[in-house]
Amino acid sequence: MNENLFASFAAPSMMGLPIVVLIVMFPSILFPTPSRLINNRLISIQQWLIQLTSKQMLAIHNQKGRTWALMLMSLILFIGSTNLLGLLPHSFTPTTQLSMNLGMAIPLWAGTVITGFRYKTKASLAHFLPQGTPLPLIPMLVIIETISLFIQPMALAVRLTANITAGHLLIHLIGGATLALINISATTAFITFIILILLTILEFAVALIQAYVFTLLVSLYLHDNT
Amino acid sequence: MLRRMVLSAAAAAAPCLRNAALLGPGALQATRIFHTGQPSLAPVPPLPEYGGKVRLGLIPEEFFQFLYPKTGVTGPYVLGTGLILYSLSKEIYVITAETFSAISTIGLLIYVVKKYGASIGEFADKLSEQKIAQLEEVKQASIQQIQDAIDTEKSQQALVQKRHYLFDVQRNNIAMALELTYRERLHRVYREVKNRLDYHISVQNMMRRKEQEHMINWVEKHVVQSISAQQEKETIAKCIADLKLLAKKAQSQPVL
Repeated sequence: MNENLFASFAAPSMMGLPIVVLIVMFPSILFPTPSRLINNRLISIQQWLIQLTSKQMLAIHNQKGRTWALMLMSLILFIGSTNLLGLLPHSFTPTTQLSMNLGMAIPLWAGTVITGFRYKTKASLAHFLPQGTPLPLIPMLVIIETISLFIQPMALAVRLTANITAGHLLIHLIGGATLALINISATTAFITFIILILLTILEFAVALIQAYVFTLLVSLYLHDNT
Repeated sequence: MLRRMVLSAAAAAAPCLRNAALLGPGALQATRIFHTGQPSLAPVPPLPEYGGKVRLGLIPEEFFQFLYPKTGVTGPYVLGTGLILYSLSKEIYVITAETFSAISTIGLLIYVVKKYGASIGEFADKLSEQKIAQLEEVKQASIQQIQDAIDTEKSQQALVQKRHYLFDVQRNNIAMALELTYRERLHRVYREVKNRLDYHISVQNMMRRKEQEHMINWVEKHVVQSISAQQEKETIAKCIADLKLLAKKAQSQPVL
């Protein structure tokens, strides 16, 4: 069982071929493109949701920040859909792999920082020193702010990885507990099953929330820098 | 090399391509024939509005109809149950921890779909309806505008038809004004002429009166001159005697 616990997080390969690329590309076919003026229900709901989310997310940005609209919307849709699909049984969630999350977080964060340094150099450098610090503290504070800046991509990636992985692990463990308890005491197994149901509800929420948080933080970094 | 093989195969299969095949691969690019038949994509046939019927949310109705002649109504269900039991008993499908997470996840999904599916569908329909209503409103407003313009134009045309009344009235007014002015001038002329004639008449009358008065005065003067003093005394005495006589007569007659 210990081997099985983490087997679901191994990079999936079918007959020796890594199909993780296919799995990563799979959620995109679940979002159909609206081709007519009046579409079917799925596309109508999808259009409405994307409109709602993008309006809310891009409200705080100025003209320069809104050029990132496509990027941010793709990001939230991708993370949300991969997280939700990972809750299905026997499925692989790409966002549990730290490599992939780092691959998403570092370029986006670096993009915001470089944009900030290119267009508003003085303001970006000024971020390293909060207003109103007493004179002797300045060197230490600059170092701390630099460390805080460079930890942002790590935090983004690790936050997403840890949340999703922890959720999946818990589901696995409690499912295993239910399985083991069925032979011992059916009532306890039932209670554990109820816990599992509650956990699943939580995981659904977490899946969506994590997507939102990731995108929101990227958008905040963008807002600071445009 | 592959292209040449394809060309010869195609030339064997379709005579219209034989000419193209003879030209060689270099020239083929220029003479490739596109769209020889009907364009296969247009017009796009309309999509069905609702999906096909399914039972248990997964299995299409056609499968049940397919098995019906041989196994009746319960056939597909028995097949399904048998397959599940077979896979469980032979451990083709192993019950692991994942089974319970699958049961909870799928159970949750089915519950949510059953409970909120219809309302979400209605919401989606409402979104489409709002869009259509908006466009319909624009269309109706445009139609209404054009209709109003047509009505205005028609009324304007009707007014134009009745314009001659206006002209008639104006013509009548002018004719009356002319008549009035003519009569007024005529009357003035008459009055002026009458004035002149009256003047002459009054001059004549005055002349005659003056002549008469003059004659009377002349006659009176001469008469008065002709009365001598003695004639005057005699006349006065006679008048007094007559008056006395009259007085007597008056006294003698009773008052009537």
